Amino acid sequence: MSKRLLIGVFESEDDTLAAIRASRQRGFKVVDVYAPYAVHGVEEAMGLAPSRIPWVVFALGVLGGGLKVWFEFWTTAVDWPVNVGGKPFNSLPAFVPVTFEVMVLFAAVGAVLSFFFVCRLYPAKRAVLPVAGVTDNRFAVVLEETDSTFDPAEVGKMFEKLHAVHVDEQITGEVA
Amino acid sequence: MSKKRTKRYWKSLKERDAAPDVLNARADEFPEGGPRQFRRRDFLKATGFTLGVAFATGCSRAPVQRAIPLLSQSEEIVPGRSLFYASTCAGCSAGCGLLAKVRDGRPIKLEGNPQHPVSRGGLCATGQANILGLYDSQRLQHPLKDGKKSSWAEIDHEIQSELANVRRDHGAVRFLSGTITSPTTRAEIREFLAGFPEAHHVVYDPLSNSALLDAHEQTHGVRVLPRFHFDKAEVIVSFDADFLGTWISPVGYTADYRAGRDLDAKRVSYHVQFEPRMSVTGSKADRRLAVAPGEMGLLLTHLAQRVARKVGAPFVSPELEASSVDSVFLEELADRLCRARGRSLILCGTNDLQQQLLSNYLNHILGNYGSTLDIDKPSLQAQGSDKELGELLAELQDGKVKALFVYGANPAFDLPGGDGLAGALRKVPLLVSFAQRVDETAALARYVLPEQHYLESWNDAEPVSGLVSVSQPTIHPLGDARSLVESIATWNGKPKPAYDLVREHWKAEVFPRQKKESNFDAFWDRAVHDGVAEVESLPIKTREFNTQLVRPILKAQRPETGAFALVLYPTVAMLDGRNAYNPWLHELPDPITKVTWDNYASISPTAAQRLGVVDGDVVRLENDGGSPEAFELPVCIQPGQQDQVIAVALGYGSKLSARFAKVGPQWLDAIISVGDKGVVGLNAAPLLRLSDGVLQYDSAQVKVSRTGRQRELASTQTHNTLTVPKKLTPPGSGARSVVQETTLAAYLKDPHAGVEDHEEKEDLWPTDHPYPGPRWGMVIDQNACTGCSSCVIACQVENNIPVVGRDEIRRNREMHWLRIDRYYSEAESGQIEVAYEPLMCQQCENAPCETVCPVLATVHSEDGLNQQVYNRCIGTRYCANNCPYKGRRFNWFNYAHDDQLQNLVLNPDVAVRSRGVMEKCTFCVQRIQEAKIEAKRRGERVSDGAVQTACQQSCPAQAIYFGDLNDPNSQVSKMMANPRRYRVLEELNVRPAVGYLTIVRNCSQEGKEESKEEHHG
Amino acid sequence: MAEAAIALRPPLIAGDKSIAQVTHDVCAPMEARPTALWWVALLISSSFLLLGAAAIAYQISVGVGTWGLNRTVGWAFDITNFVFWIGIGHAGTLISAILFLFRQRWRTSVNRAAEAMTIFAVMCAGIFPVIHTGRPWFAYWMFPYPNTRGSLWINFRSPLVWDFFAISTYFTVSAMFWFIGMLPDLATIRDRATAKWRRKLAGLMSLGWNGSYRAWQRYEVVYLMLAGLGTPLVISVHTIVSWDFATAVLPGWHATIFPPYFVAGAIFSGMAMVLTLMIIARKLMRLEDYITLRHIDRMCKLVITTSGIVGLSYGTEFFTALYSGSSYEQFVFLNRALGPLFWGYWTMVGCNVFIPQLLWFRRVRAYVPAVFLICILVNVGMWFERFIIIVTSLSRDFIPANWFHYAPTRVEVATLLGSFGLFFTLFLLFCRFIPVIAVAEVKGVLKYGKPQLESAHE
Repeated sequence: MSKRLLIGVFESEDDTLAAIRASRQRGFKVVDVYAPYAVHGVEEAMGLAPSRIPWVVFALGVLGGGLKVWFEFWTTAVDWPVNVGGKPFNSLPAFVPVTFEVMVLFAAVGAVLSFFFVCRLYPAKRAVLPVAGVTDNRFAVVLEETDSTFDPAEVGKMFEKLHAVHVDEQITGEVA
Repeated sequence: MSKKRTKRYWKSLKERDAAPDVLNARADEFPEGGPRQFRRRDFLKATGFTLGVAFATGCSRAPVQRAIPLLSQSEEIVPGRSLFYASTCAGCSAGCGLLAKVRDGRPIKLEGNPQHPVSRGGLCATGQANILGLYDSQRLQHPLKDGKKSSWAEIDHEIQSELANVRRDHGAVRFLSGTITSPTTRAEIREFLAGFPEAHHVVYDPLSNSALLDAHEQTHGVRVLPRFHFDKAEVIVSFDADFLGTWISPVGYTADYRAGRDLDAKRVSYHVQFEPRMSVTGSKADRRLAVAPGEMGLLLTHLAQRVARKVGAPFVSPELEASSVDSVFLEELADRLCRARGRSLILCGTNDLQQQLLSNYLNHILGNYGSTLDIDKPSLQAQGSDKELGELLAELQDGKVKALFVYGANPAFDLPGGDGLAGALRKVPLLVSFAQRVDETAALARYVLPEQHYLESWNDAEPVSGLVSVSQPTIHPLGDARSLVESIATWNGKPKPAYDLVREHWKAEVFPRQKKESNFDAFWDRAVHDGVAEVESLPIKTREFNTQLVRPILKAQRPETGAFALVLYPTVAMLDGRNAYNPWLHELPDPITKVTWDNYASISPTAAQRLGVVDGDVVRLENDGGSPEAFELPVCIQPGQQDQVIAVALGYGSKLSARFAKVGPQWLDAIISVGDKGVVGLNAAPLLRLSDGVLQYDSAQVKVSRTGRQRELASTQTHNTLTVPKKLTPPGSGARSVVQETTLAAYLKDPHAGVEDHEEKEDLWPTDHPYPGPRWGMVIDQNACTGCSSCVIACQVENNIPVVGRDEIRRNREMHWLRIDRYYSEAESGQIEVAYEPLMCQQCENAPCETVCPVLATVHSEDGLNQQVYNRCIGTRYCANNCPYKGRRFNWFNYAHDDQLQNLVLNPDVAVRSRGVMEKCTFCVQRIQEAKIEAKRRGERVSDGAVQTACQQSCPAQAIYFGDLNDPNSQVSKMMANPRRYRVLEELNVRPAVGYLTIVRNCSQEGKEESKEEHHG
Repeated sequence: MAEAAIALRPPLIAGDKSIAQVTHDVCAPMEARPTALWWVALLISSSFLLLGAAAIAYQISVGVGTWGLNRTVGWAFDITNFVFWIGIGHAGTLISAILFLFRQRWRTSVNRAAEAMTIFAVMCAGIFPVIHTGRPWFAYWMFPYPNTRGSLWINFRSPLVWDFFAISTYFTVSAMFWFIGMLPDLATIRDRATAKWRRKLAGLMSLGWNGSYRAWQRYEVVYLMLAGLGTPLVISVHTIVSWDFATAVLPGWHATIFPPYFVAGAIFSGMAMVLTLMIIARKLMRLEDYITLRHIDRMCKLVITTSGIVGLSYGTEFFTALYSGSSYEQFVFLNRALGPLFWGYWTMVGCNVFIPQLLWFRRVRAYVPAVFLICILVNVGMWFERFIIIVTSLSRDFIPANWFHYAPTRVEVATLLGSFGLFFTLFLLFCRFIPVIAVAEVKGVLKYGKPQLESAHE
């Protein structure tokens, strides 16, 4: 199904933040914001829910560490116990370092993969930019024209008041 | 066990006649040591065989026997089981008994024969290394005529015809040999020479004791070498006789000497050694005095005079020059000797008639003849006469000799005279050399007859009058060689196999000399089985001791200022050079200097300072006689050597060592093992002197000068003492307690004296590791160890340890699993004391090496062994770094194993390690397993003594104990409980399975009394 | 107020850049033809790389015997180089992770290069544990995989196994950290690239990044996560490396002080190496405005701090030896200072403790050539530290009969040079093909210290 989108293009992060805040005050739906770098305060302005990735990381860390302790115990004390330097078969203290490393490995890899997954990032994906330059020096605020009360012209004026470089309208399928 | 062997032997005699084709097949397998070329038919055969095997194994496991392709399967050859044959070592004239370990028809190891009265179970380094000579691919494979291959038939014919001519025109025939202890051979030679009007047998030993025999001829009227009984001697005074190292019969002497120093029986002999250089014997002496060779005689006189005074014997020596030795000490020594009359022993190792006479005189007035010296049952181990040698050389010079046979000697190499002598030898019309390799003499000979290795032929020996031992073949001759007796028998006109010759001689000569057995066959069988038979010794008519000829030696000859007295000595490994072909012995570190692959000019630290030289500086020795070429040798600084003495080892620089040019790994920076002359070391024989009818080893004087050149000596131990360098010594820490020792006095007060105590440390963790079965351990008695290094070779043979060559040793990469650390220390008397510490993997219970191996390549076994898993090892070397004893060895390269023939010596029970893996002492795990399997078969526990490690078996001093620590009654357990026992680096709590017993020196004054008291009281 | 702000905090990025300028400044040099200087540098470093490759090939085909090692000294150049490079590899993660957690904004201009350096250094380090084994072709046995030998697993008590896991983890995490950080910049390159291949390549690598803020939000979270994980990781890695020695029985190795001592040393050498490279890079790529004297100054301060810690450790070692009363311990340290390798020891102390003291002076810190020289010396010193620790302890341990010296062979020296060749080759390529400066992050801090900004963020 196609949407009508209104895109305001800005040059500085302050204007962008202002635009976002203004739009939401007026009850417009901010579909997304595009920026060349992580601008602080945007998530508050957009009212995004905090990411759940940390939980994934935590879970995987625990999993990795746990598996490793079990594996070390099983190989050295259960599967084939060998007398090594008179040490007990279950030399738990000696298992700590590897356990830690594997825990970190699981957590880190997990973090990155889940990030790629939730953001739908994958090699050679075609990047869809609302306007050129958002990876260089442009900021874009994308509003959805929800219902008839939405007046593009008026909103455009509002953006221009906030030093928008230009405003344009797109009737399109999915944008990012 | 032994019984069984006889039976086996009997069967095997039958088999022996069937065997040849089998063994031939094996011998032909590598005609020149290289693989034979591959023909189409062979290819087809091979393919067929492979396919067959493929199927066979594919269907079912073939029985093991079938894997051994013996054409005629003999009953007692069980694949994988070894047979032991008693035989006699012919490595030197000592005639030690040995057991040849034969595996699948080939001998792979020589061990001492415990039943043999001469050697009593020990076998020296050279003796054991002889096995390599058997598989030497450069051994002569066929007779040579003028250096070209020939046949026995042709040669026999020619020699016989030539001999006929010589006989016709009364030409002089001479048979030159080293001491021959074999009665049969001697008889054959006698018979052979009897056939000529003008012929006789000249015997000489390159390491001559001629004067010792001559002296007895004068004092006792018969030219004999007494048999020494060190075990009966309480006071031993040796004037430069290296009886524990290289003198006459070191293995036997060591056994006796050790018996005379039994701490548990509180019976400890007191041993004084006067010598110019540090010898193995000197290193064990309780009191050792460095004396210039020129002063020996003077000292003997001093001692003789004092002893004579005390025992009231007439011995006047007016205006006797004062000696360098403190007279108080001499006085005290004389007292000791007198107190021990009949239980003392004076030895003189110098080849000087006057000095020998004096030593005889001392023994005479001390009443030692008949107790500690036996001349009724004399030893026959050194019979050489330098007088006769001198005459022969003269004859050679003026070309009198028409036919010369050389056997078991290499005059062109080991006698002075150099090219002159060579020329004289060339002049001999018929020069025949019996040799195993083309040595210097054989190279001059017209006919070179390949002599069999003593493991290939029948022979016998009578090292001590009345002790006749047999040597039997353990393998079919590998080449077209023939034993001496057979050759001579052929020329005597009655060709017979050596077996018959020996047997007949025994029937005629030996058998009658005993009463026990009435049946010769039975007598022979036992002799062959035991390797030795005791019979009555031939009667000897000695006369009353003749003091007339004993003259005091009134003054010492000291080298003129600036010059050095030159001492030429044999080393434990090379002896007179007969072993120059043997890489094991070249790589065997000298017991004292630890140097390998070279001989060198050894001088005292003071002298070195005076000359301004350090180890490895090449010096030039100029003989006052003006030696033909100047001798240039690297310096080796030797603590404890007399300051005016320079000592050089004999036996080096033989052309037989030219083969070592490419020994060891060849890579970018490799340096070849041979010197610039293309051989190993330098032949010092030209510096010998043959004057006054004796070969003189220490009479020459040399001027020494620096050349400015360097030749780094390849030594396995660079640091000499236990006290670390002064400036690095932490406050309050003296010598390291790696070696622990005490004095006899202290020991008698408290046997625990000198042992550092360390409390048993508690484990933090539960002990998961019980040792249910046996738990192997070892104890080494450092007091008994003489450093003779036979264990090192034993280990090398048993465990297939590669030879790495001079360059690798230089880089401190020797592979010996067992090394003998040697430390010097200085006693308050100022004398240099030596401590030996044989060190191998200590098989620690808490092994640091095991913990750090990432891949579990070194782990602990249930019977307490620290195991190294070669094929799992990836070679991180972490284990070696973490080993406080540095008992581990790393395969830096792929060490050569491409000499197919030589590979026959490899022990099939031990893996040959590949490049990049770690290895180390295994406590001879292959022997342990063999014993365990045998015990299991019998359903018993492994009995004490059933496992003997290679080092333990060969130790002439029986310094090594091995066995089950879990068995409280085992010998090793008892030794572990010995109050003298300590462990090296015990404080680390790695809990080694190897214990050491302290060195107890009988040196302190009070020590003397107590030792005596203990004995008589 | 504004003036005050300027006085208090000079801007992180000099030259009052606009966002577009930043993009241009960083990307332009990559898009231009490489300079002659760059070619020369690459030629030199790659020829060293080849030399090293040849040496390693020879050593692997003939045997470890081609090194100067012996039965007493089983490790020397190999493990020295290993620890040295691992140490170098620590600064990257330190800067990007630890400084990130401490909100040290100045890191933004250096962290990309520092992380690159980390990864390259770890690559260099990784070579040595493999080639130092007698049978490198079996090195994979270090990994516990099910096999037909039992399965025979590995010995989890061995520090070498710990090493194996620590280093592989460290490499993986650093690489991911680096890549994540690079993602937006790759997108930037993609979108401004004119060359087709560059657009294709960047398109492939940038995973379709389009600056959507939903992505940016998670991006920040993941970056924080990785920083949080990387911080203990970086400390654990060198701790474990130090355990290679600390868990051994050898006097001079068996020391509880090793972990902090080694970590400090690692950061020390790492910082020095970062500085060295930065100083080269800012010249090579004309980035003086981004890597300002202020950056250099701050890193110098880190260098002198760690130098202090290292110096303290040296002293502590001696004290411990003295206090222990163990003659073996005491000997080892006397032997280090006065023994045959005394010159090595004093090189180490001189370069690591004395020379860095110069950095107390602001003038020295501000004079780039001096800083450059000091950093080089610090790295020399740190190499010797590892060499001294390893070789002196091994060559003279408990039993004097075992004492033996060590001297490297040509092959070993060539291998060491080779590792430097590899390192600099990779770094030069990095300068050419990847934005040396984290463009997105720099854009984020452009305004810091400038009038319109409330300084809350810093």
